[in-house]
Amino acid sequence: MSQSLSSCVIKLHQEHHALEDYQGGVPRWCNGCGDNAILAAMQRLCADENLAPENTVFVSGIGCSSRLPHYMKTYGFHSLHGRAFPVAEGIKMARPDLNVFVSTGDGDCCSIGAAHWIHALRYNMNITVVLHDNHVYGLTKKQASPTSPRGLKSNTTPYGATLEPMNPLTVSLGVQGASFIAQGVDWIPEVLYDILRAAYLHRGFSFVRIIQRCPEFMPKVFDPWLHDPQRTMLLTHKDGLTLSPGIASAYRNQREHDPINIDRAREIASLDDPIPVGILYRNPDAPCYEDLRHAGQLRSPEYIRAGLDREFDKYTVWPEGHAEA
Amino acid sequence: MDMKARPPEQQIFHLTGRRQGDSLRAIDGLGLRPALLAPYRDLGALRHDFPLVLVDGSDATDFVRPLSRLVDELLQDVAPRGVEGERLRRHGLQLERNIRREVDAGAGGTLAELWETAAAGLGAREGETLEQVLNYAAGSLRADGEVLGCTPKMPARLITHAWRATRNARARQFRVEVGRLTLKLSDILRAAFSHSQAGCQPASLKAAIGGSHQDAFDFDALSRIVGKGAPHDELPPARRARLEHTLVVLQSQRFFATHEDAVDEENYSFEFDNCAAAIQAWRDRIDEVVALVKAISIAELEIHGRYVEAEHNLLFATFDASSLSADDLARFPDYLVCIPPERNDAPENASLMDMLSSGLPVKVLVQTSDLLEDTSIGTGHFAFGVRSARLATAAMGLGGMYVLQSTSSNLPALHFEIARGLECRGPALFSVYSGSAAGATLPPYLNAAAAMHARAFPAFTYHASAGGNWATRFSLQNNPQPEDDWPVETLTWCDDAQQRIEQACAFTFADFVLCDPRHAAHFALVPRAQWSEAMLPVAEWLALDEGSAAQHVPYLLVVDADDLLQRVIVDAKVMQATRRCLLLWHRLQEHGGVHDSHAERLLARERAAWAATQQAIAAASAAVPAAPAAATPAETEVAAPARSRDEAWIETARCPSCNECQLINDRMFGYDERKQAYIKDLSAGSYRQLVEAAESCQVAIIHPGKPRDPNEPGLEDLLVRAEPFR
Repeated sequence: MSQSLSSCVIKLHQEHHALEDYQGGVPRWCNGCGDNAILAAMQRLCADENLAPENTVFVSGIGCSSRLPHYMKTYGFHSLHGRAFPVAEGIKMARPDLNVFVSTGDGDCCSIGAAHWIHALRYNMNITVVLHDNHVYGLTKKQASPTSPRGLKSNTTPYGATLEPMNPLTVSLGVQGASFIAQGVDWIPEVLYDILRAAYLHRGFSFVRIIQRCPEFMPKVFDPWLHDPQRTMLLTHKDGLTLSPGIASAYRNQREHDPINIDRAREIASLDDPIPVGILYRNPDAPCYEDLRHAGQLRSPEYIRAGLDREFDKYTVWPEGHAEA
Repeated sequence: MDMKARPPEQQIFHLTGRRQGDSLRAIDGLGLRPALLAPYRDLGALRHDFPLVLVDGSDATDFVRPLSRLVDELLQDVAPRGVEGERLRRHGLQLERNIRREVDAGAGGTLAELWETAAAGLGAREGETLEQVLNYAAGSLRADGEVLGCTPKMPARLITHAWRATRNARARQFRVEVGRLTLKLSDILRAAFSHSQAGCQPASLKAAIGGSHQDAFDFDALSRIVGKGAPHDELPPARRARLEHTLVVLQSQRFFATHEDAVDEENYSFEFDNCAAAIQAWRDRIDEVVALVKAISIAELEIHGRYVEAEHNLLFATFDASSLSADDLARFPDYLVCIPPERNDAPENASLMDMLSSGLPVKVLVQTSDLLEDTSIGTGHFAFGVRSARLATAAMGLGGMYVLQSTSSNLPALHFEIARGLECRGPALFSVYSGSAAGATLPPYLNAAAAMHARAFPAFTYHASAGGNWATRFSLQNNPQPEDDWPVETLTWCDDAQQRIEQACAFTFADFVLCDPRHAAHFALVPRAQWSEAMLPVAEWLALDEGSAAQHVPYLLVVDADDLLQRVIVDAKVMQATRRCLLLWHRLQEHGGVHDSHAERLLARERAAWAATQQAIAAASAAVPAAPAAATPAETEVAAPARSRDEAWIETARCPSCNECQLINDRMFGYDERKQAYIKDLSAGSYRQLVEAAESCQVAIIHPGKPRDPNEPGLEDLLVRAEPFR
C-alpha cells in the first residue's frame, strides 16, 4: 500500500458517477438552443472527472444561460443579475475545496455584471466560468446586449444597434491577473468539451467564452460559420488543444498558438472572422487570490464569536452617560 | 622517443618511487601545489560561494544563500547605477571581503551582526558617515541568518538547517489538517450535545446566549419547548467513544508543536548523531504513529459520514506498524542523523546500511574527511576511502532511496537537490567530503573543490522514485566538464622571456594527491635542466597504450611557494590509483548516460543496418522503375469512412445536443453516453420525420438516406427535400 490509510479508506467507499447523476430537471430552453450543447459538455465533464455532486456548485446570474444550475444535479446558486461572480468568489473563499463553476450570459456578464467580471479576472480565483454568448437578451424576448452585432434590430434598438459589439476576449486579455482565456462554439461539441476540460483543470480563473446560437431571436446569424468550416480557426498546441483526426479533417483552418504568448493571444482575440476557437491564453503560474489570502480559515466557535464581536462593536451605541472609556 | 633519451633516474623513480642519483629532488617542504591552483592562494580576497547565510524563516528550497549573492542583490537595490553608485559598490564589496576574512578566521554570528562589526571596522578607517551608510544599507539585505564558512562543521549545520525548514513546512500542513479534523469532530459532538436532553436544560441554553441578553429570555420555558422529545444522546455509545478517543489522540500527539512558535519540551526530538539512537526512537514511537494515523483516518471517515462499523472496525483493529505506507509516514517528521566524521566506523553506526535499506524515513549525513587513506590491510595502495567515500555508490545499489554525494564546496550549488532529498519519502543519504583532512595544507574549500575536479569525489544524485530508469534517476550535475575524463582548464603563465603563454592543463587525481603532504614521497621534482620529451602530462600519459607508456614518464605542472612553474614526476602507485579513479568515473559517466557503452554499441549496430538498407534501396531503385507514391500515414488516418448516400446516419460527434431531433421522434433518435444524438431505431419513425429532423437540425448533421418504405405518402416531394442532406 503506497497511499495513506485515510485516502484508502475514503476511496473504499467513493462513489462513481455516471452522466445521469448530474442531470437535473428537463431543460426549458428553446428547441435548438446552443445552451443544450454547453449543458451536455458540462455534464460530461463532471462525469469524466468524477466530481462529487455534493462538492460541486454552479452559480449563475440572470438570463437564459443562468438557468443552467437548475439542470445540474449538484449544488447551485441562481443569484441576481450580474452578481454571479461575487457569489462564486464568496463560496470559493469560504470553501476552497469545492468545485465552483459560473454560468453567465453576455448581458449578465458584459453589461450589468461587467465590473464584477473585470475584478473576478483580476482576482484569479480557482473558478471555471462559461460565458454563453448568443449576442442578445433572450429571456426577455430580444433586447440588444453588449455583444450584439452593429445594426441588430431589437426591442431596445428598433433602428439597429448603434455601437460596435464588445469583444469579451480582448477585454479579458487586457486585465492584469487573467490566467486562462479560451473561446468555443456550441456547434463543435468535441472541441467545446476539450476546452471546458482544460479550463477546469487549470488552477485559476478560467474564462471560456462560448459563441452560442439562439434559434429564436438570432436565427441564421451564425449560419455562415456553421456551413463553412474554413471560417472557424482552431488553435492548436501541445500545451493547448490537440485535435482528433475527425475534427482535424473537418476543420482544416488551424493555427498553432502557444497559450503562454499573451501578445499573440490578444492579436488572435481581435479576429471575428474566422472565429478563433481554442485556448488563447494560459498562465499556470499566476497566483490565486484565495492562496494569497489563505482562504479556508478554520471557523471554530471562538473564531466566529470573535469575528462577530468585532463587527458588532462597530455599531455599539452607548447610552448617554455610559460612553466607552 | 626511445628509452635511451629518457633519463634513467626518472624511470627508476616512476617504477619504484625511490630517487636515485641527484637529478631529482624530494618535494617535502617546497610548498608545491598544482599549477591550476596558483590563483587561489588568498581565498579571502576572492568572491566565491562561501561564506553562506542560512536564511532565517526560509522555505524548504531557499534555505541558503551565498553572501556574495546577497551583497550583489543589495548593491543592485541601493547603489545608483553608473559612476554615482561606484563608491557604495566598492565599499559594499570591501565589507563583504572583510566579513569573509573574519569568518575564515573563525568568527561566527548572524549576517546582521557580522555586517555591523565590519561596517564599524570600515567606519573607523574611512569615517563615521560610511559606517552609517553601510548600516542603513543593511536594512535592504534580503535575508538574514547564521553565516558559515566552509568548515568541517558546515555540512551538518547546513543539512540540519534545511531539514528544519522541511520539518516546519510539514508541521504547518499537519497543524492545518489536525486542526480541521479536531474542529469537525468537535462540531459533531457539540451538535449532539445541543440536540440532547442535557443540551436543552435551562443552564445550557443560558450559556448559549450572550451575557448581555440573558435577562430577556425565560430559559425554563425555552427548555420545556425545545427539550420536548430530545434524546438522551443521539450518538450511539460506540460512536461517541470512538469520536472522543480520536479527539484525544489527535490533541495529545507529540510529533509536532501545537503552534508555530511553541517550544514544547514534551514534543519528540528528531535530530540524532548516531544511527542506533534514531532506530531506538523509531521503535519507541511507532505505536503512537500507528494510533495517530488511525485517528486521522477515522476522523476523515466520521466527518464524511462514511464510517461503516461492520467494515472499518475490523480494518482498524488489524492495522499495525507493518501496514504503514510511505504516504502515512510522510505526515511525520523524518529522523535526521548527522554522523560526526570521526564516528563513521563507530559501533553505534554499524547499522547504517540496514537502516537505509529498511526504508525508514531517515535522512543521514555521512562526512568523509580523508580520501587518501591507506587500505586497512596495509598494502601501501590507496583505499579510496572505501569505509565512507564509496558509501553513496553502495547505497545506490540498495535502491529505494535518495542519494546525494558531493564535496562541501559544492553544497550551496546543490541546495535544490538537498531540499529534494529531504522532502522525498523514505530514506536519504547525503555523503559529503569536507576537505578537512588532518595535515592538509590547502583550506577545506579548496581541498574539497580539488577533490571534485580530480574526480576523486564526484558529485551526483540518485533519486529512486524520480522515474523508471537511470536517465531520470541519476544525475552528474555540477561536475566540471562531465563529458570528459578530466576537466581541462587554461593555464596562463609567463616564460623566461616575459611572454604570456597559454596552455591547456588537465586536473587529475594525481594533482589532488599532490595536495596531500602525506604522499609527497610519490612525487619528485625535476629540475628544469632535466626536462625532456620523454616526460608527458599525466592525462596524456594515461591515454597511451601500455607499450608507449613504458617509454614515457608522467609529470604534473606545479608551482612552488614563489609561483614558479615546476614539473614533478609521479610514481607508478599514484598512476595506478589515478587510472582506477578514472575507471570509477567512467562507471558513473555510464550511469549518467555519458559514453554509455551499451548505447554506443547499439548505435553502431543500427548505423550499420541503416547503411545496408540504404544500399539495398539504392540498388533496387536503380533496377525497377519508380512506383506511384503510397498514401502517407496522415492521409490514411484522416480519410473518413465512406458512407452510402442511401444510408440514414448522424454525424454523432458533431451533435450539439439541442433536442431538435428528439422532439420530432424520441424513439427514432436517441442520445449516446455523451448525450450526442444517433439513430436509435430507424423503423420507429417515417421517412418524413427523418427529413424534417434533417431540415431542423441546426448543424445539418442528419443524413436521411433513401426511404425504407417505397409506399410512404408524398415520397416524391420528400426525396427532393432530402437531397441537400444525403
